[in-house]
Amino acid sequence: MENIKQKNSFLQLVSRVWKNYSIVVVFFVILIICGIAAPRFLRPNNLLNILRNTSIVGIIGLGMTFVIIAGGIDLSSGPVLATSGAALIALQKMVTESGDPAMPLIVPILVCLAISTGIGFANGIIITKAKLPPFIVTLAVGIIARSVVMYFCRGATIMGNKIPEFTNIGNGSIFRIPIPFIMAIVLALILHVTLTRSKFGTYVFAVGGNEKAAKYSGIKVDRIKIATYMIVGFCTGLAAVIEMSRMAAVAATSSGMQYEFEAITAVIIGGTSLNGGKGRLIGTIVGFIILGIVKNMMIMLNISPYLAGAVKGAVILFAVLIQRREK
Amino acid sequence: MSKLLEMQGICKSFYGVEVLHAVDFSLEKGEIRALCGENGAGKSTLMKVLSGIYEQNDGEVHFKNVHIKRTAEPLEVQAYGISMIHQELNLFDDLTVAQNIYLCREPKGKNGLIDFSEMNMEASRLLKRLGESIDPKTPVRELKIAQKQMVEIAKAISFNVELLIMDEPTAVLTGKETEIMFNLMRSLSEDGISIIYISHRLKEITEVCHSVTVLRDGSYIDTKKVADVTEKDIATLMVGREVQHSSIGDFSGDEDDVILEVLGVTDNMLDDVSFSVRRGEIVCFSGLVGAGRTELMEVIFGIRRPESGQVLIDGKPVTVKSAIDAIKIDIGLVTEDRKDTGLVLCRDITENSNYVFWRKNKGIFKGVKKTRSNTGGMIERLNIKCAGSDQDVANLSGGNQQKVALAKWLLSDAKVLILDEPTRGVDVGARQEIYQIIRELAESGIGIVIVSSDMQEVMSVSQRVVVMHEGRKTGELKCSEMEEEKIMYMATNV
Repeated sequence: MENIKQKNSFLQLVSRVWKNYSIVVVFFVILIICGIAAPRFLRPNNLLNILRNTSIVGIIGLGMTFVIIAGGIDLSSGPVLATSGAALIALQKMVTESGDPAMPLIVPILVCLAISTGIGFANGIIITKAKLPPFIVTLAVGIIARSVVMYFCRGATIMGNKIPEFTNIGNGSIFRIPIPFIMAIVLALILHVTLTRSKFGTYVFAVGGNEKAAKYSGIKVDRIKIATYMIVGFCTGLAAVIEMSRMAAVAATSSGMQYEFEAITAVIIGGTSLNGGKGRLIGTIVGFIILGIVKNMMIMLNISPYLAGAVKGAVILFAVLIQRREK
Repeated sequence: MSKLLEMQGICKSFYGVEVLHAVDFSLEKGEIRALCGENGAGKSTLMKVLSGIYEQNDGEVHFKNVHIKRTAEPLEVQAYGISMIHQELNLFDDLTVAQNIYLCREPKGKNGLIDFSEMNMEASRLLKRLGESIDPKTPVRELKIAQKQMVEIAKAISFNVELLIMDEPTAVLTGKETEIMFNLMRSLSEDGISIIYISHRLKEITEVCHSVTVLRDGSYIDTKKVADVTEKDIATLMVGREVQHSSIGDFSGDEDDVILEVLGVTDNMLDDVSFSVRRGEIVCFSGLVGAGRTELMEVIFGIRRPESGQVLIDGKPVTVKSAIDAIKIDIGLVTEDRKDTGLVLCRDITENSNYVFWRKNKGIFKGVKKTRSNTGGMIERLNIKCAGSDQDVANLSGGNQQKVALAKWLLSDAKVLILDEPTRGVDVGARQEIYQIIRELAESGIGIVIVSSDMQEVMSVSQRVVVMHEGRKTGELKCSEMEEEKIMYMATNV
């Protein structure tokens, strides 16, 4: 009797872990499979490289998690990364050429963050005040932002100054851990506390779960929504700083290309519901690392890059399938 | 069995609760029959059984001496010649009048495509019969509401209808439009079409119907010739149940200690409504569907902006433009539809019960300890049955969900608490618990306003009842003066 009980509670524990952390379990399964398929994959250098490469999209994904939990979506992230990145590169060049190195680098970075956060604010204002669907507003803003960058760069690439103070942001490591990944994790921690411990975080869930009920509870629904778009904007700016510093250059047509979709993919793989009201940042972290692994394995296994989309699409479907909740 | 329609011993249960108890109903050819009863008496349920939307648990339906199968689908029933016009219009705004009328039955030409000229001609012939001159090619969106109603009727008649069921068709019509509708009903009746007419407006019933059937609490009560009864008789039949006396008594506190006062609130649904609530008093709002009670509460809570009128709290005029303003001045609203406006179903009990508490208190963080003690206290005090405070509200029963909706406002220290249909979809046990909580709240000095369509609820929890009819206040009774008949007379305005 006692035994059965224990067995039952053990099964319950397993089922609860599976329900809440299925994606983490899947993550380790993927790691093992990859390790067997391509032993080179498990080399520390390769793993660290994956983390470095995937952190840029990952940081956008962290912000995107807020927007999606609040029931919205942001399709402008890629172009916004290019726009704010172009400003960063242009200013960085100006500042470093004028002498006094390193120190004023902070100014271009702040301008970059201000631009991306500002565009997020504009997205939020248009969506809430004009009561337009987020899909359409951010799509349009994204198209505008991409076009502005093309005009600004004359459709080509602008080079910045490759000073180590700048390039180290994206290429450097601390105790072998890539700086972009450290930034992603620190940001994730701050955002996690915001989402789970602050009132604001709870209101984000409430707005995404039932906007009307949130309004009837006295929650300032519009402000919450605008704030989520500013958060993803800020994250996009930070991602721009890393992306730009790695090459010290911005390419009008290809910088940030499709990043918004990769970020959304990471969020979905992480189990956040596109219906809003449910979601976790830990899921998004696992989500963007899985994305990085998939890309890496494509190279390891010599799979044609043209098939990248097919594999990514399959990963999304699989991730959503295993996390489907019974109604 | 010479009658057109014969329904015998119809029983219907939802989730094991019987809502129709062996109801008999029969109808002659060409008869216009009113179907009356309080909210929840079973009128709509009975008609939905007849029109094939619901399947009865017991009982038989015969139409023109033909047995209609219990499992008959609405389309099959329509083929027999029975059509129902629902309270909410079921039209597609972007299709034309003719397309709406012949939806899924479009006349087809030789090539297998829709023969539009044939369809428009048929529709136009049909509309002419109803004395209506709308162009069948007009999109429904461009029609006035009365014209849309006509399209619904045209659609119903196009099935070679012999029995037409109309569920409160005049609720949205003006006086003149209603008159046109009545003339149409009379001429249909002369053509031999029978009509079952559901309405709360007793005056209309005596005007246009031949006879009236009254249901009460899911049981058949009586059928009378309209010529033999007065509006008052009908209202008495509608209430008629033995009054259970467990009333709370008159308000015994300070008569002048008014906490909420509403003066002359007017908009398109409300007509010069004034009332007041004292500290510690329980005031119920009674009335039939469409009386404007919910709208009035929305005005007080800042969701609805009135054209004129004033709200005073503690004697001071206040401007409430949103729920945020209302919460600031300590007004709470437990909404009518908890799933739509009361709760965030996909979040847990803790979050749902603390939203307003968090809004009212300063600070960036939720405060884990305080939040936990808040929620734990509420679960204990309201006896919320749950697996734990982290259980999603969606997985709670109706009664426990309602308790969580209530907890949200108890934690907000409201001075005035409005409860709109607080026991809708709540089981009997939880219902008594909620009444007990309401009484305790009143004793602690909160002014309580309850909107209720449940007469027994009104009788047992309120110290005073305000009755409304079509946006106007038609009466006010103290507990000691309350009688169900009186309230029903006021609610039906006879």
